[in-house]
Amino acid sequence: MRAEQVLAALSRALGEKLQSYELRPREVGVSKKWTVEEIWAEVPREDIPRAVAALKALGPLHISIITGHDAGEKIELLYHLAVGFGTEGGEVMVTLRTFLPKEDPTVPSICGILPGAETTEREKIEFLGVDFPGIPRRDHVFLPDDLPVHPWRRDEPELEKFIRRMVEWEKDDGAKS
Amino acid sequence: MERNPEGENLEYGALEEVFEVPIGPIHPALKEPIRFTFQVRGERIVDVQIRTGFAHRGIEFMGMRQGRNLIQILYLSERICGICSVSHPIAFTQAVERAAGIEVPPRAQYIRVIISELERIHSHLLWAGVAAHELGFDTLLHLTWRVREKVLDILEELTGNRINYAIPIFGGVRRDITPEQYPRVWEAIRYYRGLLEELLDAFLRDPTVEARTRGVGILEPKEAEELCAVGPTARASGLRKDVRQDRPYLAYSDFEVKAITPADYGLTPVGDVYDKIVVRLLEVGQSLDIIEKALENMPEGEITSFPKIPALLAHLKKAEGEGLGWHEAPRGEVIHYVRLVSGEESPLIWKVKAPTYSNLLSWYPMFEDQEVADIPIIAACIDPCICCMDRVYIVRNGKEETWTKEELLRLSWEKTRRMRR
Repeated sequence: MRAEQVLAALSRALGEKLQSYELRPREVGVSKKWTVEEIWAEVPREDIPRAVAALKALGPLHISIITGHDAGEKIELLYHLAVGFGTEGGEVMVTLRTFLPKEDPTVPSICGILPGAETTEREKIEFLGVDFPGIPRRDHVFLPDDLPVHPWRRDEPELEKFIRRMVEWEKDDGAKS
Repeated sequence: MERNPEGENLEYGALEEVFEVPIGPIHPALKEPIRFTFQVRGERIVDVQIRTGFAHRGIEFMGMRQGRNLIQILYLSERICGICSVSHPIAFTQAVERAAGIEVPPRAQYIRVIISELERIHSHLLWAGVAAHELGFDTLLHLTWRVREKVLDILEELTGNRINYAIPIFGGVRRDITPEQYPRVWEAIRYYRGLLEELLDAFLRDPTVEARTRGVGILEPKEAEELCAVGPTARASGLRKDVRQDRPYLAYSDFEVKAITPADYGLTPVGDVYDKIVVRLLEVGQSLDIIEKALENMPEGEITSFPKIPALLAHLKKAEGEGLGWHEAPRGEVIHYVRLVSGEESPLIWKVKAPTYSNLLSWYPMFEDQEVADIPIIAACIDPCICCMDRVYIVRNGKEETWTKEELLRLSWEKTRRMRR
């Protein structure tokens, strides 16, 4: 798989919805040099499933993780996908970047296309309060079910207090009583 | 292939009712806290719910939001997992090096490769022992763990520690391999070369092991691909998926790594527990090949592009950018994403993905229609790493004290009470 093939497929599927993209190849190896391709593209949230479907049509598709970030007004999600495993140096890393408004932090689930995305989507639900319409299971993966906060939000007024209560014992001189 | 051909003939009579059997969070069949809630009819598993998070420590939050600098976070990343304690730093340093535009000298890349392949050998032997134990074959557990000591000795010789090696640093590695250490590494390679056939024999040609693992916990190739399984879990199902091969990093392209599946042992991949043993044991041989080649072709030169830590910290503080770093850990793909903002010591974003995270979903099809007695080995077959700790050893003011489980329990009760306030 080459980055050009992947880009062509993405732009065929998305047209001008492929808002911007960048190639960031990395040179690896000491005696046998190799270039590993990376594509970083920005896509509107409603087009994420279309982009993922286009990648899946190209070859075996793997999702590494979705990175989430509270960027103030918006929530930023980065879908780190890899297309085309199984050949030496033939996999292309594709990162799809999308922004969700804070007042409506939803993005369609890609579990229907790539069931392996479920854990990472569920993680974003509990950590960032994002919703993924269409996801088969919504239960928490890592955090207690009744946790009152989304820990990766930067606008949670309760979060600081909550963390302080958790680490209080470290401050009482640590002495055994 | 029929799943459990013998089992199909068993008569369960009136046992039509479905019972719920919880296993975990703490259970003798599990090495770390996780909860499986099984629905069983007779001895057959009908359905399962899996709950993780009992050992969640919020490490990413600690890295992003609590004022640590990148070097402090590097050591934190090493403690994400005790067994993969070089895998996370390798992925993390690469992510930061990409974000900050730092080059790694060739010799340092080779040393990183050698340490991570040694780690793979020790992790796969550890797993093989655990698998033998889960099958009730403790003699094999003791044999496997005895021979694992050799690789831990070598790791201690090269790094100073049996685990948590503290070898990678941004721009290189912290310790060189000295000329007098080479013969000891070579000796360990010869030791394992001579032993591998014996291990393959003990595991793969033993009728008990075969009876307990053939046809058990099957992950079909299609399921493995759809659920994005990684590492030996995916390769045992016949997927040629290995990050070292698919998107090489560091010096891995020099070694022309090929993903190993049971087909390399003359078998048709089934994706059961037996195949997972095949893949892991063959990978011990593959790691020996890589270490041999690396020792033979080791480039001379510097081991880091930033010998002075204050200069490194200053460079990192000025850096702005984002980067991904990945690594094929013994259990599969580890990936780290880092975004740095100029003027800040902590990263703005740090996302970590460990292999078990990707393999979690594979458990659902593996447990389907299996027997209750096979739960421990199926639970163990993806080599889950959930992370636990039941004791703390503290040295304060020159006095040593051990915090036992009871002490920790008392502390955790107190903490729960505070959190409820």
